[in-house]
Amino acid sequence: MAATLPVVLPGDQISPSSLPKPTKGNKPLTLGPGLQHIPPNTISTTIAGALVTDAKKNAAWVEYNSGRYTPTAGDLVIATIATGGAESFNCTITPNTPYASLPNLAFEGATRKTRPQLATNSLVYARILTANRDTAPELTCVDPSTGKSEGLGPLKGGMVFKISLGMARRLLAGRKGGVTVLGGLSEKIGFEIAIGRNGVLWVDGGNVKTTLAVGKAVQEVDEHALGPEGQKKVVSKVLRDI
Amino acid sequence: MPREAEISVNEREFIQQALRENTRLDGRAFDTFRPLELTFGDEYGVADVKLGKTRVIARISVEVTAPLPERKFDGVFQIVTEFSPMASPAFEVGRPTDAEVILARILEKAIRRSNALDTESLCIIAGLKVFHLRADVHIIDHDGGLIDASCIAVMAALQHFRRPDVIVEGEKATVLSVREREPIPLSILHTPLCVTFSYYEEGEIFLVDANLAEEQVRQGEIIITMNRHGEVCQIAKYGGATVDALSLLNCNNVALEKVKDMSKFIQERLEADAKRRDAGGLMAELSAENDR
Amino acid sequence: MPLDTSTYSLALLRLDGRRWNELRRLHAQISTQAAADGSSYLEMGNTKVLCTVSGPHEGKAGGAGGGPRSTQAKIEVEISFAGFSGVERKKRQAKDKRTSEMSHTLTQSLAALLLTHLYPHSTITIHLSILSQDGSLLAACINAATLALIDAGIPMTDYLCACTTAAPPTSAETEAGGDPLLDLNGQEEQELPFLTVATVGKGHAVSVLIMESRVRMEKVEGMLAVGVEGCKRVREILDKVVKEHGKRFA
Repeated sequence: MAATLPVVLPGDQISPSSLPKPTKGNKPLTLGPGLQHIPPNTISTTIAGALVTDAKKNAAWVEYNSGRYTPTAGDLVIATIATGGAESFNCTITPNTPYASLPNLAFEGATRKTRPQLATNSLVYARILTANRDTAPELTCVDPSTGKSEGLGPLKGGMVFKISLGMARRLLAGRKGGVTVLGGLSEKIGFEIAIGRNGVLWVDGGNVKTTLAVGKAVQEVDEHALGPEGQKKVVSKVLRDI
Repeated sequence: MPREAEISVNEREFIQQALRENTRLDGRAFDTFRPLELTFGDEYGVADVKLGKTRVIARISVEVTAPLPERKFDGVFQIVTEFSPMASPAFEVGRPTDAEVILARILEKAIRRSNALDTESLCIIAGLKVFHLRADVHIIDHDGGLIDASCIAVMAALQHFRRPDVIVEGEKATVLSVREREPIPLSILHTPLCVTFSYYEEGEIFLVDANLAEEQVRQGEIIITMNRHGEVCQIAKYGGATVDALSLLNCNNVALEKVKDMSKFIQERLEADAKRRDAGGLMAELSAENDR
Repeated sequence: MPLDTSTYSLALLRLDGRRWNELRRLHAQISTQAAADGSSYLEMGNTKVLCTVSGPHEGKAGGAGGGPRSTQAKIEVEISFAGFSGVERKKRQAKDKRTSEMSHTLTQSLAALLLTHLYPHSTITIHLSILSQDGSLLAACINAATLALIDAGIPMTDYLCACTTAAPPTSAETEAGGDPLLDLNGQEEQELPFLTVATVGKGHAVSVLIMESRVRMEKVEGMLAVGVEGCKRVREILDKVVKEHGKRFA
């Protein structure tokens, strides 16, 4: 993440100058998480973090690293199956959130007759379909429009590592997130990963040593908030050890 | 509805597979502790122990009460443990889990029943007035190894604590404040410390100081309490998978080694703390200069 | 009331006239309570324990409903003390820490022994009533529970047998100390450091090992060895009881 982003505190008023200028047309300004519009034309923050703006989308939001994950529709999460029922599985996203339900039919190729058999405490990579404050979140392992799994589904083998929510977001953001450690590692060793927005990273490197090395590398980058330089060092150190 | 996060099948299998390949997740050898940190508070009798991510704070406090009728010559010593929800979502106040009861029992057996503290020295006037010593153990962060960390915290706090001096004249006892007279240390007879062994693969693999994930995967545990003189104060193996009698004895030897290391570490820290407190010595205190 | 250890080193006889490696009279019966699914009555000297087992039955609604462990049967152990069981007649608190530690031990050791995965979503309740206490209480509870579970017909891998041993009393003449004592009564338990050991099967597979008093590390080895040996003898006796009972149906 670029270090030049302005840091805002709850209650700060955002001056119009720091908001994005619409590049073309009169696209309405979109406010993301952490920003609040007080009519007539005051915009203030509700959380502490870095103010990020996107001129192309004409959007602004606050990037922050909180400890608690709140399920949001569209997020990819790694959930643990708690119990299986006749209609759906109950899944744990984090120990503090209520169970999310994952319908038996929300898997690729699942029908009433052939439903997936998942043991208690196994892991699934799923997308949050609906999440609102009145009902339990609903998960799905298929893309509703295509009926294909798109990489979602049960995770076999491998190991999970806890990472911060901010790290998970940065990893999912790809190049924009500024995390190069995975890219650096993948040039030399092969591994499979899945990133859950709930702060979980699943790694399968085929053997214990690779899996651990990858997981530890990401955790180290996360813990010490390493920049591109530091990440390169971590990569070369890990590759040397393997 | 907070609850303890069950460990997933994938993690369980991975940890077991790693152990079979002689690897622990954090890269430690099987018989090493996590990095241990011990700091003392500004007041006497506050010890803050960090064992990896696990953190426990023990605090000793004292008051004067009447002794128990059946133990007229002994002071009262009480260890109170509390798991706060701060440490893990699974802990709830007022509803002790099995783990909490076991922790309280082990500390009781390891420290109180083994007479680590000479309770007779806490007596002021037999049958009338004694010191009531209370050790509060607070679990601040839970990443396994609670029993070992709590035991270190209590023993370090006891050794760090100073109780106020008293003057006894007949039936009358006067407790002198810290300003009037230098408080005196407790009489500690020995320092018992706990070492928890977790075993896997039908008792083939023994780990010292397992973290939370390793604790959730283990087949059973053996808690051995010893002092550095080689006296076993307490052994507890509450069921679980069976273990060969010979490997149990082997654990004793490993425990002795670990206890010796830890005792030395606590001693060093205590000395460092004493030096810090006594910065200028008597001369600094008597000096007429002051900040004003 | 100090135990007269001086006479022990002379005659090598304990207060109740036993030698060091002698068990007390162990008398046991199974199927004593008609109403329970399984039951047993066990005497180890003057320690008397009555055990009933009910289940496996469906777990309580709600409690076991969403439980993550519902793929296995849950084992619940309740221990109650009769008011007249001890020397002083006094009402014990419903749940003190020592009792919950005992029930925790039983739950943990039996969970590894019983084939609980055969009974998902169910509970096995073991109720132990202590009628008289005179040492080796935990050992007696373990032995009684084993018999009652066998009577209830709950599948298990092997017997769990327990007994106690104490470090030998040291006196001036025998500097190194004599042999460890087996199966302690209440008085010896108060005087000597002792441990409770429970083994599974015929070998050295130790399931439970609990020691509560301070003792030299070197002595533990001897105590453990004698304890394991004692468990084998207890196993023979329990085996005989079960076979005797089985003959009625043969």
